[in-house]
Amino acid sequence: MVLTPAKPRKMWGVTDQPSENLYMPMIAVVDEIFDETPDTKTFRLCFEDKEYAKSFSWEPGQFVEVTIFGAGEAPIGFASNPLEKSFFELTVVARGKVTQMMHELKRGDQVGIRGPFGNCWPLEAVKGMDLLVVSGGCGLAPLRPAILQILANRKDYGEFWMLYGARTPADRDFKYDLEEWAKRDDMHLLQTVDIGDDTWKDNVGVVTTLFDKIKIDARNTVALNCGPAIMIKFVTIGLLKMGFSEDRLVTSLERYMKCGVGKCGHCCVNHVYLCTEGPVFTYQQMRALPELKL
Amino acid sequence: MKASETWVLKKTDVSKFFAGVAKEMRLVAPRYLFGGDVTFGVVESPGEIAWDYGHVIYPPKRFLLPHYEDMFRYECGPPRRIRLEAINEAPPQAILGIRSCDVSAIRFQEKFFGSPIVDPYYKARSDSTVLFSLVCNAPPKKECFCICCDAGPYLNAGFDVQLTDLGDRFLYEIGSEKGTKATEAGASMLVKAGSDDIAERRRIEVQADLLFETTAYLAKAIDFISADEVPDEIWEELGSTCFRCGACTNLCPVCTCYTVDDRAEADGSFTRCRSWDSCQYAGFTREASGHNPRPTFGSRVQRRFYHKTSYPYIMRDGRHGCVGCGRCISACLTKLGVPDVVKRIRRGMHKYLPAQDRAAEV
Repeated sequence: MVLTPAKPRKMWGVTDQPSENLYMPMIAVVDEIFDETPDTKTFRLCFEDKEYAKSFSWEPGQFVEVTIFGAGEAPIGFASNPLEKSFFELTVVARGKVTQMMHELKRGDQVGIRGPFGNCWPLEAVKGMDLLVVSGGCGLAPLRPAILQILANRKDYGEFWMLYGARTPADRDFKYDLEEWAKRDDMHLLQTVDIGDDTWKDNVGVVTTLFDKIKIDARNTVALNCGPAIMIKFVTIGLLKMGFSEDRLVTSLERYMKCGVGKCGHCCVNHVYLCTEGPVFTYQQMRALPELKL
Repeated sequence: MKASETWVLKKTDVSKFFAGVAKEMRLVAPRYLFGGDVTFGVVESPGEIAWDYGHVIYPPKRFLLPHYEDMFRYECGPPRRIRLEAINEAPPQAILGIRSCDVSAIRFQEKFFGSPIVDPYYKARSDSTVLFSLVCNAPPKKECFCICCDAGPYLNAGFDVQLTDLGDRFLYEIGSEKGTKATEAGASMLVKAGSDDIAERRRIEVQADLLFETTAYLAKAIDFISADEVPDEIWEELGSTCFRCGACTNLCPVCTCYTVDDRAEADGSFTRCRSWDSCQYAGFTREASGHNPRPTFGSRVQRRFYHKTSYPYIMRDGRHGCVGCGRCISACLTKLGVPDVVKRIRRGMHKYLPAQDRAAEV
């Protein structure tokens, strides 16, 4: 079986664009802000235009371009439950100019949204198979919608393993979710941190150190990964060693992006535009791109 | 009068003819500046046009993809209310005297910006632009190699109107509906081309073809680059001389990459604008975390050539991304123009050369 990331039903500029000008953002309002870690916040956003809000839909793995007025625009992946239609959430680490300014937003502030962009996790195609989700740090954010959708349709999937690594226990995103997922008996959640503390009872080490503890049948399992570039590299090596075939390793890549519609040229990897053809790829597809040096 | 017809325009009528065109649209044409330099600019009267110019270093692509283009304006206030105001300025314009290579480049960009997703800014500008191209009777510069790139010195298609200098008159070929429309005002000044006009044109074509000094044997480089067979050492060797000034991409009439900024205005509002960017800058791919997927000079030179000359891009764009205008040769301080890099790749891939000779500068 050749598994390819799914084409989303809606994509800005192709099927879902409210005005003729695809560079004009739609206005959304910050409804609520949650602190995740010392440098990460989750923003709950609602569109001002109620008609547009009704027609707005997205799928796990897609992303939007967020305009922070006065600072600029940055691409951010959806992090909320895709079944929730009245709002969506973005989880953002304060790193660059735009994201630092975003962290200063308050409830009621306006932001600009263009999107959704990109393809999505192949959740339809993997029905009936076992799943292994591997994520590191803020790489959990783009996977969270996929996980929530899988849990909502739990009976459609086989065994569900999830590995999550972070720098320290405090740096873990979505601690409320992790707590709840750890209690569930229909999924196996293993966590690890690079540097533990007195309260940390779980594994210490990088996420690949958890590979010894999982019991999976590599022939019937699909792995979804997202995390820092270095993590993805070693996770991929480890999983290939465990016997995963190349088309069963699904990864969300990241590049600096500006336009989201395949024009600005920043996100190209060889001839592939991550914003329109990605960001989700199988390892098999990534191997065809010499620039990734895999 | 319709597309694909050939006419003759007397040089004594040229100013009057284009004064007629200027009633409908602004004229963008090459004109002499103080000191004898030629650049494209908006001309007030057709008399200023430098019909005898050779080549301009600053390509006319900026009249379709401006160096700095405002996209929309917004005001932040009063309390937290955002007002967006779209900007889309596309004045009707005729670009006169544009060379075949630049016409080919604009057609390339129109295809890129027009499909599959339409860029509204570029489309508005290209829809309101008529190209009056001027055939090169001989290569205007020793760096020209359009003949290797299927982009000149004359065009068979792609122009709106194509002019050929036949001494005391211009051969006037109409190539599109837009060209027909722009011709209507001065139609009375045109006469049907005779067999001697066509014969003279043919003589000029044959003669021009023989005069090229620079060549770029792209075919083999396309193979090597597409198959990722060029070793990293050759790219790093090439990149080791790059100053990352960005001149090659900024002066390239084909290059389209841009960056987006929100510019603060004096009155407290902001303007979202896009400006030319270059894949030769380290910041082109550097992420906020500091991670850069293209960390070395060599990887960035490789990127430029992969985009210009690899099969996947040729399949998508219908041609390779070089029109042989020779600007990167003129501009690059360190021989990273297309023909030089092609030469060095061919040499670097030479099986029987000792390694140090393969890497040596040509």
